[in-house]
Amino acid sequence: MGNSDLRSLAALSECPFADIEGSTVAVDAHNWLYRYLTTTVKWTDDAIYTTDDGTEVANLIGVVQGLPKFFEHDLTPIFVFDGGVTELKDDEVEKRREQREQAEERLAEAEAAGDSIEAARLSARTVQLTETIQETTRDLLALLDVPYIDAPAEGEAQAAYMNKIGDADYVGSEDYDTLLFGAPSTLRELTSKGHPELMELQPTLDEHEITYEQLVDVAMLCGTDFNEGISGIGPKTGVKLITEHGDLFGVLEARGEHIEFADRIRELFFDPPVTDDYEIESDIDPDLDAARAYVTEEWEVDADEVERGFERIESAVVQTGLDRWS
Amino acid sequence: MFKAIVSADTLKDALDSVSVLVDECKIRLNEEEFAIRAVDPANVGMVDLSLAAAAFESYEADGGVIGVNLGRLEDIAGMANSGDLIHLELNEETRKLHIQIDGLSYTLALIDPDSIRQEPDIPDLDLSAEIVLEGSQLSRGITAADMVSDHIALRVDPDEEAFYIEAEGDTDDVDLKLDSDDLIDLTAGAADSLFSLDYLKDMNKAIPKAAEVTTELGEEFPVKLHYEFAEGLGQVTYMLAPRIQSE
Repeated sequence: MGNSDLRSLAALSECPFADIEGSTVAVDAHNWLYRYLTTTVKWTDDAIYTTDDGTEVANLIGVVQGLPKFFEHDLTPIFVFDGGVTELKDDEVEKRREQREQAEERLAEAEAAGDSIEAARLSARTVQLTETIQETTRDLLALLDVPYIDAPAEGEAQAAYMNKIGDADYVGSEDYDTLLFGAPSTLRELTSKGHPELMELQPTLDEHEITYEQLVDVAMLCGTDFNEGISGIGPKTGVKLITEHGDLFGVLEARGEHIEFADRIRELFFDPPVTDDYEIESDIDPDLDAARAYVTEEWEVDADEVERGFERIESAVVQTGLDRWS
Repeated sequence: MFKAIVSADTLKDALDSVSVLVDECKIRLNEEEFAIRAVDPANVGMVDLSLAAAAFESYEADGGVIGVNLGRLEDIAGMANSGDLIHLELNEETRKLHIQIDGLSYTLALIDPDSIRQEPDIPDLDLSAEIVLEGSQLSRGITAADMVSDHIALRVDPDEEAFYIEAEGDTDDVDLKLDSDDLIDLTAGAADSLFSLDYLKDMNKAIPKAAEVTTELGEEFPVKLHYEFAEGLGQVTYMLAPRIQSE
C-alpha cells in the first residue's frame, strides 16, 4: 500500500507541541536519518561532511541539527535502529521488502532532484545508510546521552510495539506503516517546520468501522512493503471488500485472486519480531564537549556547520521552563 | 470599545517591557487598566504588565481583548517625539486600531487573539529572599557578567546579608557583591539560582536605570523582577526560569 493510500484512510490531526511536552517518542531511526541525510546532502557542500580519507558523515550534521527540536519541546526521543539484517537476508519476504524500499528511496531522490537547483549533482549520488553512518550515529547519540535501541528486525515494528505497551507515548516516523504494526499514536513531521501531525490508530479504525486486523488486510489488498496488492483495489474499495467478506482470505477467494506468502506477511504485521530487552533512561545528561570533539575533530565536520545545533541542545537541556512551577 | 490618549513615553515603556520576550501579544483593555501577560515561546521568561487608567490622559475601555504585532506598534509609537501624545481608538467593526500622532494617522490591522499563544498562568512561587536595588546596579552586574559568560548566578548569603551577582566564564570570572549598605532593602534568605543571560539582558534593557527593582529569589527557583514606571501607575513583573546547575 503506497503511502498516499494509507494516508487517505488514516485519522490525522495537527498536534501542537504544547500538547505533547514531556512525552517519550520511539523514533524509527532509519526513517528519520534517511530524511536528514537527503536534506543535508542536498543543501550542504559535500566537503563539509567528508573526511580527508573520503568517508561521508552527513548524518552527524543531521543528528545535531535535528535533535534540538526534541529537547526544546521537552520530548525524549528513543531512537530505534533496524537490526538483524544478516539473519533475515536469505528470507524471501524480507528480500522483497528491501528491494521495494530501495526502489522507493530512488524514487524519492528523483522527486527531490526534480525541484532542486542542484539536480545534477544529486542525481549522480545515492544516499545510503552506510555502516559508518549507522555506527557514528550511535556513537554520537551515546555521547549526547540520547537513548537508542536495536530492534531484532524492523525498527518501525519495534517502535510501534513500544508505543503499544506504553513504553513510548508516541512513535516518530514519516511512514504510515506504523498503523499496520499497531502503533496507537504516531507523530509525523516531528523535526520539520511547524507542528507535527498526529496519526491515531483507534480513530482510524472507528472511522471505517473495521478492526485492526481488517486494516492490515485492506492494506494488503492495496499493496504493502511486502506485497504488490491486487490491481484495481484502492483503499476505499479495499475497506468495502473487507467489510463485505470479513477478511483478506474471504476477499481473495471471492475474487479468485492470490497473494503470495499472504499468511506470513500478515504475521509480520500482527506479530513482528520485537524485544523487551531494553532500558530507557529519560534523564538526558549530554557530554557536549565530547560530542563536539567527536563530530568536529574525529570526523572532521566543519565546526561552523554544527555549532548552532550544539548550542541549541545545550540551552534546551540546561534551561528549565516556567511551567514546572505552575 | 476602546479610546485612549497616552503620552508616547509611557506607551513605549509599556510596549518595550513586553517586546523583549514576544513578538505578538494580547492586550486586555479592562475598564480600570491596560494589561498584558505573555510568555516567550520556550516558556522561560514571562512578563505581567499593567498600566492603570490613570496613567493615560484619557482612557475609556470595556474589557475587550485585542491581539497586536508588537514590533509594528512600537514602530508606530517610535514616530512620536518624547512628550507627544498618542491617540488610540479601536474600530470594533473593522477590528483595526486607529493611531494618531500629531497629524499622522495610522490604521493598524490587529491579530486574532485566538491565534496568539495562550496567556500563561502565573507560577506559584514561594521565594525566600527579597532584594530591592536600583535598576542601574542590576544592570552593572549583568553587563559585567555578559563579558565572561552566557549565564549568571544570583545569590543571597544570609549570614553576610549580601546579594551576589556572579558569572564564571571559561577563563575569566565576575563577582559583584552588594551588601545592605548598597541595597535599598534586603530580606535575606538562602537563595542561589542560575539564569540565562540572553533573557536577563533583554529584560534589563526594559528596566529603567532609576527604577527600584524588587528581586525575589530562591534556591534553583525562578526569579521575579518587579518595577514600576509611569510614576507608579505602571507595574511590570518579570519571571525567569532558572538553568540547571550542573556542579
